[in-house]
Order: sequence, then C-alpha cells, then structure tokens
Amino acid sequence: MSASVNGSLGLRLAAFAVVVGFFQIGVVSEVPVFGVNADLTSLLVAFVGLLCGSTVGAACGFAVGLFVDLALLQTLGLTSLIFTLIGYWCGRLRELRDPQGPFTPLIVGGGASAVALVGYSLMEFMLGVDAPVSFELLREVVFGVFVNTIVALPMWALTRRALEGALPEDPRRRRRRRAYTTGGLSPLSRP
Amino acid sequence: MHDKTVRRRRTVLVLLVVLSLLLLTAYFGESSNGRLHGVQRDFLTIVSPLQDGANKALKPVRDLFSWFGNTLHAKSRLAQSLKQTNRLRRELVNDQSEKRAYRELLALTHLDQLGVSDYHPVTATVVGKTPNLWYSTVNIDKGESSGIQVNDPVVNEEGLVGKVAAVVSDGAELDLITNSSMGVSARIGTSTATGLVQPKVGDPNDLLLGYLPANAQANIGEYVVTSGTVAGGESLYPPGLMIGQVTSVNEESAYKSVNVHPAANLHDLDIVQVLTTGAGTRASGLSNLAASLPSAQAGNSGEQLASTQVGG
Repeated sequence: MSASVNGSLGLRLAAFAVVVGFFQIGVVSEVPVFGVNADLTSLLVAFVGLLCGSTVGAACGFAVGLFVDLALLQTLGLTSLIFTLIGYWCGRLRELRDPQGPFTPLIVGGGASAVALVGYSLMEFMLGVDAPVSFELLREVVFGVFVNTIVALPMWALTRRALEGALPEDPRRRRRRRAYTTGGLSPLSRP
Repeated sequence: MHDKTVRRRRTVLVLLVVLSLLLLTAYFGESSNGRLHGVQRDFLTIVSPLQDGANKALKPVRDLFSWFGNTLHAKSRLAQSLKQTNRLRRELVNDQSEKRAYRELLALTHLDQLGVSDYHPVTATVVGKTPNLWYSTVNIDKGESSGIQVNDPVVNEEGLVGKVAAVVSDGAELDLITNSSMGVSARIGTSTATGLVQPKVGDPNDLLLGYLPANAQANIGEYVVTSGTVAGGESLYPPGLMIGQVTSVNEESAYKSVNVHPAANLHDLDIVQVLTTGAGTRASGLSNLAASLPSAQAGNSGEQLASTQVGG
C-alpha cells in the first residue's frame, strides 16, 4: 500500500466521517423513525472496517467515537471504545471471510448496530448511570437495530462511493481475480 | 511480513482500547471543571458554529424527513381518533339508552302514589310492534310465568298504555288504548262525572271520551284520568291513571264528548309495567271475570260488563 493511497484514504475518511457526523447530529438525530433514531456513525465505522480492514476500522472507530463523545458532551472514551471494537471486528470479518453476498451490508449493519446499542447500554449501566433496564429499553434496542438495518444499504453504497479509488488492495481478492482472469480456474486443470 | 502485520494490527487495537479506557477512567474520575471536560467544552466551542451552520443548511432535509414522519404519524393518529370516535359514539348511544330506561323506570316507581298498591307491577320490555301505522297492539317479554293475566292494565311512565289481550308463558300481547276493542272508564280532572274513553274512528292518534253528562264541565287542556269505577262498580283500571289531555269539546248530542290526546307516546314504547293482580284480591276477581267473557262481549263494553257483574 503506497503512502499516497494511505494519505488519500485518510483524507477521504476524515472528510466523510465529519460530514456523516454532522449529518447524524443535525438531521438524523432529530428525525425519529418508529420512535427511535438511526445511527449512521456506527454503520460508517462498520463499513469502513468491512472495506478497509481491521486496523483502519479500529482507528476510524476510535476517531468517530471520540468525535461523537466530544460533540455531544458524552462520557469521553465510551463511544470510542465501542466503535473501536466494532471497526476492528468488521475489519477482521473482511480479512478472514471476505463476504461478498448482497445481504452482507444488511447483516453487518444490523450486527454493528446491535453491538453499539447493547454495548452502550451495558457500559452506561456498569458506569452507574441510571439507565432504566426495562421493556422500553429492549424495544428501543430492537427498533434501533431494525431501523439501522433499513438504512444500512444506502449507507454502504455511500461509504463505498466516498472511499472508492482509495481503498487498499486486498491480497486474497487480488489472488482470486488473477486466477479468474488468467484462466487458472482450478489447480486440477493445470498440467 | 505476516507476523509484522498481525503484530501491528493487535498493537493498534490494544493501544486504542487502552486509550479509550484511560479516557473513560480519567473523564469519569475528574470533576466537571477537569481538563478533559475543558477539552470537550473547547471542542464544542469550535464545532458549535459548524454545527449551527450545518443545522441551518440541513434544515430543509430535516424538514423533509420530518414531513414524512409527521404525515405517517398523523395518519396513525387519524386512525386512532376514528376508532376512538366510534367507540365514544357507541358509548354515547348506550348511555342515552340507559338514561332513557332509567328515567322510565324512575317514573314507574312513582305509580304507587296513584293508588296501585293492590296490584303487583311487572316491568316488561316491548319486543314487538305491529308494523302498520295504527300501532294498536304490541308484544312484551313477560307472560304467565311472571303472573300476567289477560285484561291486566298496562302503564308506562306517561300514563295508561292499554291492557293485556293475550298471554303465553313468557310473553303477552297488549291492546293499546287506541285499539278498537278498548273502552276505559274515565273522568276529566277533578270532576266526578265519568264517561268512556274509546279510540276515535279514523284517527289512530286520538281518543274520544264519550257518554259524559251534558252538564259536565270540560275545558281544553284538562287532564283525563281513569275513574276507577264504572256503572256503580269497580273498573279494571285503578283510579287516577293519566290517559290524556282534552283537545276539543263536542256538545252536539244529549251526551257531551271530548277529544283526548293520549298522554303515552304509543309510537315509542320501550318499557312498560303490567299491573298484575295477586290471587284472591278484588282486582284479580275483576280480571278473571273479564277474561272469562266471550270475546264478542269483551269488546267495547267489556269493562262495563265486568264491573256490572262484580258490582251486582
């Protein structure tokens, strides 16, 4: 991975994260759907991890989490911790499995939202914040995951579009592409 | 090379997690005037204008989304409101029905003040009406099993309604006072002169009080009530039951007659009270005697015949 690609990716990521962050705070947080708000930031972190790998995903998660905590005057480090883990796990998913199915963004987005919502609730609970553990909380988690799953596809398309051209080349994917394009479909066909 | 990548990846993760935990611990441990809180406030000071600008710039987008949300919300609220309106309408109808029934029952409890204590009132609901304009008979949901017998007087809260014409185990047919077979001994107001109230020929809503002495006082608007006696004997009907109001006076023959508008609204009967007679009472004897008469005799002059025989 060259330095220019790294720099370009960093710049694009930073710009895109800031835009998504402001959009989240300025618009999405004020438009409830089914009584809950979509969380684009957790989706962003998950998809960055899925596109760029675990290291970039974790770093992006930390930065976006820190931005959210600072901008919303939340407990500093809390969202960073959760988003770091989400970014890392999604990156590892790409590195180990490299899922290419059409429903991958939906599943990853839903999973990331569930981890974010449950993790946030658990952390708040552990820190002693008076978070009511009730049916209402469960409902919010379920509906939040549902809404985030709905917006996962457009968010995935946006993230891919924003980072296209600066994404790192995956060695596994490169090997697979070469095998298909050079006719070496299977080791069995070799003489 | 691979080991180096793995090591770097793990190092980054551990570093970021530790950094997050350090931030968390430090932030949680310090007061609201601490350094991290200060950083947070400074950050907010810097991004606040940006947030403000973004907020204003994105307001149309927010309004658009809100419009969709509000529209959906309004639709669901409309459906809820319609359901609620229907429910309240049903409740209102039930309440009005109950209120009306309560008033009727309340009025019926005052009937004892008219001297009907010899009778045993049985409250019944009208379950059937003749479907023609004349409304001369109705069916009720109580019968012999409730002690109702043929010729028992029937009243409602407004006044005399009619009498029992036929009875079965759990039902009875009533002849209304506008039925051509009816004849009730009656008087006007406090006057002692009695006459016979019969349906007016050709007008199902009007009655005629006839056979009044020519010198009897009769004024328009006076009330006509049952006399309780007829031809020197006792009537089937207890005295003082409201029948109607005088609407006009006719003096063209040897007897005076007056037109009477029924007090009871016979077109809108719902709950009535049958004044049943206890076994062995005088009222019971009258009723049984009238019932034993042939139907031809129990016509217009049925009440006169019954009272005459008992009296004799």
